[in-house]
Amino acid sequence: MLIIDQLQKDDARLRVVAVVVLVGLLVLAGGLWRLQVMAAHRYARSEEAQSVRLVRVPAVRGKILDRNGIALAENRPSYDVNLYVEELRSSFAHEYTNQVLPNFRAQQAQNPALKVATTAETRRWWQVFSRKSRTKSGQRLTLEQRRDLQESARVAVYSNTVQAVGQSLGRPLAVSSERFLKHYRQDLALPLPVAENLTPTQMALFFERCLGIPGVDLEVQAIRSYPFGSLAAHVLGHLQRADEADNDPDPLVFRYRLRDYQGVAGLEARFDEALRGRAGVKALRVNSQGYRHQESILQPTEPGRSVRLTLDLEIQSAAERALAQVAGSSTRGAAVVMDVRSGDLLALVSAPAFDPNEFLGGMTPEEFARLNDAKLRPQMNRAVSGAYAPGSIFKIIVGLAALESGVLDPRESHHYLGYWPLPGNARSIDDTAPAGDYDFKRAFKRSSNAYFIDHGIKTGRSRIVAMARRFGLGQKTGVPIGPEVSGFLPDDDYVAELKDRRDPWTEGDTAHLSIGQGALTVTPLQMAVMTAAVANGGRVLEPRLIQEVEAGAGEVSPVPPSFPRRDAGVPMRYLDLIRAAMLADVEEVEGTGREAAVPGFGVCGKTGTAEVKQGRILVDKITWFVAFAPYESPRYAVVVVVESGGSGGHTSAPVARKIFEVIRRREAGVPSAPVVPKGSRAGVAAGVVADGTWAVAERQEGGRP
Amino acid sequence: MSGKGGELNPRPSRFSWPLLSAVLLLMTVSCAFVHSSTLGDGGTTAKQMVWFTVGLVGAVSLCLVDYHILARWAWVGYWGAILLLLLVMVIGVDRNGARRWIELGPFQFQPSEFAKLAVTMALAQFLSRPLEELRLTNVVFKTLGIVLLPFVLILKEPDLGSAIVLVPTMLAMMFVAGVPVRMLARIVGLAVVVGGLLVADVLFAPEKFRLLKLKEYQRHRLMVYFGKDFAPKNATPEQRAYYRELQRQKAWNVQQALISVGSGGLTGKGWRQGTQNALGYLPRLGAHNDFIFSVIAEESGFVGSILVVGLYTVVLFSGLKIAGQARDRLGRLLATGVVGLWFTHVFINVGMNIGLMPVTGIPLPLLSYGGSAAVCALLAMGLLQNVHLYRRSY
Repeated sequence: MLIIDQLQKDDARLRVVAVVVLVGLLVLAGGLWRLQVMAAHRYARSEEAQSVRLVRVPAVRGKILDRNGIALAENRPSYDVNLYVEELRSSFAHEYTNQVLPNFRAQQAQNPALKVATTAETRRWWQVFSRKSRTKSGQRLTLEQRRDLQESARVAVYSNTVQAVGQSLGRPLAVSSERFLKHYRQDLALPLPVAENLTPTQMALFFERCLGIPGVDLEVQAIRSYPFGSLAAHVLGHLQRADEADNDPDPLVFRYRLRDYQGVAGLEARFDEALRGRAGVKALRVNSQGYRHQESILQPTEPGRSVRLTLDLEIQSAAERALAQVAGSSTRGAAVVMDVRSGDLLALVSAPAFDPNEFLGGMTPEEFARLNDAKLRPQMNRAVSGAYAPGSIFKIIVGLAALESGVLDPRESHHYLGYWPLPGNARSIDDTAPAGDYDFKRAFKRSSNAYFIDHGIKTGRSRIVAMARRFGLGQKTGVPIGPEVSGFLPDDDYVAELKDRRDPWTEGDTAHLSIGQGALTVTPLQMAVMTAAVANGGRVLEPRLIQEVEAGAGEVSPVPPSFPRRDAGVPMRYLDLIRAAMLADVEEVEGTGREAAVPGFGVCGKTGTAEVKQGRILVDKITWFVAFAPYESPRYAVVVVVESGGSGGHTSAPVARKIFEVIRRREAGVPSAPVVPKGSRAGVAAGVVADGTWAVAERQEGGRP
Repeated sequence: MSGKGGELNPRPSRFSWPLLSAVLLLMTVSCAFVHSSTLGDGGTTAKQMVWFTVGLVGAVSLCLVDYHILARWAWVGYWGAILLLLLVMVIGVDRNGARRWIELGPFQFQPSEFAKLAVTMALAQFLSRPLEELRLTNVVFKTLGIVLLPFVLILKEPDLGSAIVLVPTMLAMMFVAGVPVRMLARIVGLAVVVGGLLVADVLFAPEKFRLLKLKEYQRHRLMVYFGKDFAPKNATPEQRAYYRELQRQKAWNVQQALISVGSGGLTGKGWRQGTQNALGYLPRLGAHNDFIFSVIAEESGFVGSILVVGLYTVVLFSGLKIAGQARDRLGRLLATGVVGLWFTHVFINVGMNIGLMPVTGIPLPLLSYGGSAAVCALLAMGLLQNVHLYRRSY
C-alpha cells in the first residue's frame, strides 16, 4: 500500500493508525456503494413513494351522434373556481403571527389558567441571570397548542378567501371548515373546489375581481351533457359516478382519482370502453408537509371515441313528441321507426323517459321517486324490454299462416255472428266487428275476431307459432341496448308442459292465440322487424342502431349495414295480400286505422287492442298500431304501442300518423321546425316532457325577428 | 530521523501541497453545497465564506510560529476551553433543549469545537514526555483525566457526539505516543464494557434503574439505531400505536438521509436538483450542517460522495505522513491528534448519513456550515502544516 509505505518503516504504531483510518474509510466507501449503487433503485422508489402522488385523470368521453352527426351526448365545459392551498402558505404564516397568536396571547393575559399551562417548564437557577432564555421559555407554547393555533389560522385564511371570492362573484359560497380540514388532511396536493359551474357573468366578474386573491384560480372541466335532455334517453342510457378504486382495472396505484363516470345503462354502458377512452396519469410532487410542489403528466389521456347512431334526431323527437301527446308525461308506451330496406332504426322511443343529465349531479328526492315509480318505470326501455300481448296486429301472422297452409281462400266470404262461441260452457269471445259476411280483406280491416279465430283454429297452433318464429318473434333481435326480452310464443315445449300440468292446450287457447291474446307476448321492436319484413318482401332484418364507432386517431370502423337475418320464406302473393289489406285498413272507409292516414303517402297499417285481464276482469288495454309506408315502395316501418290506451285505432294510429307526416316532410325536403338543444339546464328538459309539448323549437321560432 | 528526505530532495516543499489542495477543494465543495442545501440562500453561503477566511487567516497565523512555542500555550488553551465550557452552561443559548452556544453579538460561538482542538494540543504536550514515563500508571490516569474533564462538561451540554469524538482521538494519540499496548487494551476493554453496559442500560432498563440520565431524544436516537421497539412490553394497543408513530417520527431523519443518499444513485440528480432537501424531507435546520453529506450524495451521486471521501483520504494520509516526518514526538502527536480528530468526525458524520452510525450532532469537517467548526477545522489544518513546515528546523 503506497501511502502506508511512505510512512517511515520503523514507525509501526503510525502504520497501525493508518490501517485503522484506511479500513474506516473503506467501510464508508462500502456503505456508499451499498446505498447508492446496489440499493439505489429501492431508495429512488421510496423517494418517489413519499414525494410523488399519482393522480388518475379521466379522458374526455366520446360523443354519441345521430345519423347526421348531431351530438346527442357530448361534453360541455364547466368553469370551476379552485383553491390551490399550497399558494396560501405565506398567508397561513401571516395569519398565525399577526392574528391568531396575538389573540391567543391576549386571552392568556386575561385568563391566568391558560398561562400556567404554558409555563410548565421549570427554570434552572442560572437561568435567572439570562434574560433572554427566561422570556423564551416563559411563554413557550406546547406542541398541541401550536398545532391547534396553526390549524385555526389556516381555517381563517380559507374562509376569508372563499368569502372574498363569493363576494366578488356576487354568489354566496359555502364555507365548510370540516370540508377544508378533510381536504387538508387527505387531498392536500389537489386543488380544493370552492365554486362550480360559473355563469358567463360570474366568469367575467372573476377575471375582473378575483385575480388578485392568492391561491384562487379558474379551471375548466368537461362535464357530460345531453343537450336534448330526455331525448332518446333509453338509447343513450346514463352515467354513474365511478372513481372509486375498486372498479379500476388499472394496475397503477393511484393516490388520487379525479371525478370520473361510468356508463350504467343504454349505449353509454354498452360502449363504455370505447366512449371512456384511456385515463391519463399525472404525477404530483409534494413536499414533506404534503403541499403540491410541481406536477407533470406521465401519461396523457386518450380521448374517448365517438359513436354514431342510425337514429335521426328529427324523427326521434317527432316520435317522442307524438307519443307524449297521448297522455302527457304519464304516457306509457313505445314507438319504433325502422328503415325497412336497411334495418336502420330511425327512432326508438320509450315513454315516459328520464333526463340523463339528472344522474350527473345530485338528484332531488322527487326526481328520484319519479325514476323509481312502480307504474311509470321511466328507466325501463319499453321498446326492447316491454313484452306485450300483440292483440289484433298478430292477425298478420295468423293470416299468413292460414294463407300458406291453404285453409284460407282470400276471396271466400263467410258469415259471422259478431262473437265467437267457445266450445263447452266457456264464455264466448267478443268481436268489435259486427255480424255479417267477411272476406279476408274486410275481415282484416274490420279486424274481425270471428274470421281469424275460425281460420286460426283451422290452421292450428303449431303452424301459427312456426310462422311467428319465421318473422323473428320469440327471439331477441340482438339490438345492442337492453335488457332485451325475447317475448313468448306457445311453442311445443310449452304445450307439453301444460299437458304435464293437467291443463292442456285447448281449442279455446288457439282461438285466443288467433287474435293475439293469451300465452303470447311480443316487443315493439320485434313488431317493427315483423312489419318491415312484410313491407320489404319477407326479409327479416336485424335492427341496426350503431352506424360506426370512431376508431383511434380519427379513423372510423363502420358497422356494416344490416343483413337479412333470414328470409321469412313467405310467397310474395301472400305478402301482397297482407299489404293490400293493411293499406285498406288505413285508407278505406271501414278500416280501423283510418286515423293514421297521410294523404298521398300510402300508409299501410294494422291496429291492435290487447286486453289485459286478471281472471275475467279487464284491467288494462295495450293499444297497438303497426304500419309501413309508402305502399308502392315501402321505406319506413312505424310501430306504436301505448299502455292503457283506448284502442289501437284511436290512441296509437294518430301517433303513427304524426310520425309519418314528419318523415314525409323530411323526404320532401320541407324544412321543419329544427330541434334545438334546450339550455344546458336539466330542469328545462324535464319541464317539456311534463306538459307534453315540444316547446323549445316553437319558443325559438317565436323569438326570432 | 528527518534527514533522509533532505538529502534526496535538494528543495523539499515547504508546504504539504496535497493537503493544501484537498483543503481548498473541500472548502469549494462546502460553499457549493451549503448554497444548494440552503436553497440558494446566498447569505448563508457568504457567511460560510467569511468563516473560511477567518479560519484561513488563523491557520496562516498559526504557521508563523513554531509549534514548540505554540505548545507552551497548550495548557492555557486547555483551561481556557474548560472555562468556556463552564460558561456555556450559565450564559449559553438554549436551542432545542441544548446549550452549546455562547452569543457574541450577532454571532454564536461553540466552545466545544475549540475545546476539541485545545484538548488535542494539551494531550500532545502532555504525552510528548519521555517514553519511560508513559508506562507509569499515574501518567496514564492523568492522561485520562485530561480528557475526562472536558468530556463530562460537553456531555452535560448535552452534546454526546462532540464528547465521544475525544475518545478515539485520545486513544490514537496514546497509542502513537507509545503507551504500552497492554494498558491501552485495558482502557479500551473497560471503555467497551462500560459503554456496552450503558447502552444496554439505556435501551432495556426500566426508567428508575437508568444510570445514565440521557435526554429523551438521545435515548430515542439510540433506540432507533439499535432498532429497538419504542413501546414497552406491557403497552396497551393505543399506547403501542402512539409509540409506533413516535418511532416513525424519530426514525424520520435517519430514514430521509438514507433515502437522499440512496436515491442519488451513481451520478446523482445534479447540483441543486435534489428533491429531498428542497421538499423539506431532510431536516431543514440540519441539511446544511450535520446532514450536508446527504445533500452532496443525493445531488452528485456515488461518484461525488466517493470524491468527497477521497478528499478526506488525502487529508488524513497527508496528516499521517506529516506525523511520520515530524522532527519530534510533539509534532508527531499533534499531527496524529488532528488526524484522529478529523477521522472521527468524518467517520461518525458520514456513517450517520448512511445509517452506519446513530444520529449525533457533529459536523463534517470543512463541509458543514458553521463558524466555530469551520474555523477550528482550518486551525487544525494550520497545525498540521505547522508541523510540516518546522519539521527540519533544529
